[in-house]
Amino acid sequence: MPVFANPLGLLALLGIPAVLAIHFLQRKAVELPVSTLFLLERTQRDAASGRRFDRLIPSIPLWMQLLAVLLLAWFLAEPRYQKSGSVQRVAVVVDSSASMQVFKTEAVARLTQAIPGLQGEAEQLEITLLESAPRRPRIYAGSSVVEMIAALTAWQPREGLVDPTSALRLARSLVSREGTVVYLTDTPQDAVPFDAKLLAVGEAIENVGFTGVSFSNVEGTLVWRAMVRNYSDKPASRSWSLQSSAGNTEPRPVTIEPGGLITIQAAFPKNAKNVRAVLTADRFTLDDTLPMVAPAPKPLKLFTATSQAFGDLSAKLLRALDSAEPSQDAASADLSLVTYDPLDPQLPPGNSVVFVEDSTQSGAYLKGGIVAEPHPLMDGLNWQSLLVRETLELQRLPSDEVLLWQAKRPLIFLRRTAATETAPPTQQLCFNFDLRLSNAANQPAFIVCLHRFAESIREAKVAPQSLNLETGQPIEIATAPQPPVKSEALDLSGKPMNSADFGQSGAAPLTPGFLTLRQGEAALLTSAVYFADTREADFSACSTTDTLGTASAAVLERHTQPDPWWRVWILLLLAFLLVAWKYTAPSDAAPRAMEPTR
Amino acid sequence: MTLETLQIAHATALAAAGRLRLPLRSKVWRGQAGEFSGGGTGSSLDFQDHRGYVPGDDPRHINWQAYARTGQYTMKLFREEVRPVVDLILDASESMFFDPVKARRSAELFYLISESCQSVGASITIHALRGDASVTLDPAAIRTHRWLETIRALPAADPAQAPDFSRLPLRANAIRVLLSDLLFAGDPDPILKFLGQRQGTVVIFSPFLETEAHPKWAGNYEFIDPERSTRHPHRIEPATLKRYLEAYVNHFSLWKQHCRRHQTAFTRIPAEEDLSTALFREAVPAGALEGG
Repeated sequence: MPVFANPLGLLALLGIPAVLAIHFLQRKAVELPVSTLFLLERTQRDAASGRRFDRLIPSIPLWMQLLAVLLLAWFLAEPRYQKSGSVQRVAVVVDSSASMQVFKTEAVARLTQAIPGLQGEAEQLEITLLESAPRRPRIYAGSSVVEMIAALTAWQPREGLVDPTSALRLARSLVSREGTVVYLTDTPQDAVPFDAKLLAVGEAIENVGFTGVSFSNVEGTLVWRAMVRNYSDKPASRSWSLQSSAGNTEPRPVTIEPGGLITIQAAFPKNAKNVRAVLTADRFTLDDTLPMVAPAPKPLKLFTATSQAFGDLSAKLLRALDSAEPSQDAASADLSLVTYDPLDPQLPPGNSVVFVEDSTQSGAYLKGGIVAEPHPLMDGLNWQSLLVRETLELQRLPSDEVLLWQAKRPLIFLRRTAATETAPPTQQLCFNFDLRLSNAANQPAFIVCLHRFAESIREAKVAPQSLNLETGQPIEIATAPQPPVKSEALDLSGKPMNSADFGQSGAAPLTPGFLTLRQGEAALLTSAVYFADTREADFSACSTTDTLGTASAAVLERHTQPDPWWRVWILLLLAFLLVAWKYTAPSDAAPRAMEPTR
Repeated sequence: MTLETLQIAHATALAAAGRLRLPLRSKVWRGQAGEFSGGGTGSSLDFQDHRGYVPGDDPRHINWQAYARTGQYTMKLFREEVRPVVDLILDASESMFFDPVKARRSAELFYLISESCQSVGASITIHALRGDASVTLDPAAIRTHRWLETIRALPAADPAQAPDFSRLPLRANAIRVLLSDLLFAGDPDPILKFLGQRQGTVVIFSPFLETEAHPKWAGNYEFIDPERSTRHPHRIEPATLKRYLEAYVNHFSLWKQHCRRHQTAFTRIPAEEDLSTALFREAVPAGALEGG
């Protein structure tokens, strides 16, 4: 079948009714009394009777003009025929964001409808389906539309908001400049890069969901507080209940104003598994369930070996750190607070914070500019108001990493000790001045620096912890070299999930549920994974857009060839016009409609 | 047609009648006394023959000089002088008068024939025919030009049908002059047979328009039938016009062929030309008229 490069040329077919109308009108034009009608009707009996249209059948100029109009329309429409072996490459970048779950069926249907148009007049079609999230395997690559649809149907979008630029760049490089790149999403964009076409299949649906959870201890009871948001522009009524292995609570109704946030809270059930706060389900179900575990950070044992002069500081640090507990055993402590004794310069092993204690008469204030080295412990801290008097100094090793200078004197440095066969690596944060002879205790930077160091020690500690994570959240966990860590993921109902649902390596699964990381028999991490991406839960910007259009002229020309008979059609057109003119042109001898001579 | 038009046509016909007349002398006449030699013996001054007397003969025609010489009664026979008899049959259908040119030519021929007959003292009877209706006109009405009103008022059941000649009271041994455009469907043979019966001699004058013989139609027309005043839509293509012309020629060829078979003088008179010119060119060679 030919394809028309210029379908508007078919408008020339309107000339057919025009020609017919002219012939009909022409028929009414001349009235003539004739006495020889019986002779005329004898010769023209077939045309003189019957329907009006039938009387036009014998009209040669009419048929010539109609054929000329048909040929003209054919010529103007620029018919083209398919080239054999032509291939159209199409790369479809599918929005990986979780909100696409709602519109996946519609997306599959719309893409299926659009495929013939994308193929255009090419004989073959090569389709590549990509996720908009980078570094993901292709959903499908091949030439079978059926298999492509099956792959797209089985695929699950679970990402947060993803910038499709890199995927579109990859798609464009796959199909080259001649191919077609389609971005299939639920949220239209003003401009899609890399000359991609946009196929948006979303709609602004109503959604209410959890946006986050926090925990607090109220009179010795662990209480959870969850934020619930109504993303729509209409009031929404829902009911929620707390479900766990210990049983379910009665549903409690809540009404949320348009765009409003409410907080629901309850005591966390003790000794219960699979604890979930569940909202009445809507179309977007990912944020309707909030799995929870009782948060429990890794404990940090703090050993204090300072003089009485630093007693207050040690007590403050113990109170300020979460899950910190005092320890009397230096060997089992995670962090030690020690003072430097010049008479006994040997520092204790293990992680420690070292202060200088100078009992001598106080010296002058140090002069010179205070400069912090770039280091995570120093990042963003302001030390400029720090005042330090001259005191005795720690013995600094060449391997020590100075964090803070005043002029040429190091004020704070970090000493690292490599791991040995029997001991793990350690680090010591050394304050190379006497705190009592400075205003460091009143400096926020000093407190923050201490907290950062303590938390880095806690992070490096291999110990069980319980956390509430968001889907896809990176997980940093300290592990022993051996044995290998094994993960165990359960869905919201407590059933094991497929390994494919675990998400990226080093991150929480993309599907809400429960995750446990074990090393040997010890559970290093017990966590609940919940969906709380408010950008994906907000459907107000979703709508339907289709910029696929029709195949461009360049694509059409690449896959088709022009009508090889066009010269013949032109000659025929001229021939038809000449014949019609010959029959319709008035003769020179007499007027067109013969009137009686008077 | 107006009275003035008729008067002009009459004058034209009279002028032509001075130079042309019907071929009355070529026929052997019988009947009432008149100016033409009859087929039998009569009382004219022209001697014809002698024969023996038989009882019953008029004794006034006994040739007494011959009786004196021979003693036998011998009769002198003289040529008979009779009046020609002419039946003029006028086709009064609308097609003869729908066009002013053709109507005038029809009137001129009508006047020509009637005046030609009256100038030689022929006995003329004028019949007007329109479909199945007919009327016999008073010859006196010709000079008053009221004949046209009479024939246009003829009530015909179907004015488009062929003239019904069968009801005409034609006289024996007469010249029957048919003035008709012959534009009706039908076989000429029965018409000519009827007109030629009882020793009748038939002469046909057929006026025609050039637009009937050679129309220049092209395209779509609403043809109006003058007989019935009905409208007939037609699209005329060159092929259609060609077939029409063939049918027109065949129609009159058929009449001409049958006229030849029935020894009938047949002439077609174009309406657009001058009357005398057209008659000299068409009617005289055909034997329908003869020069004075």
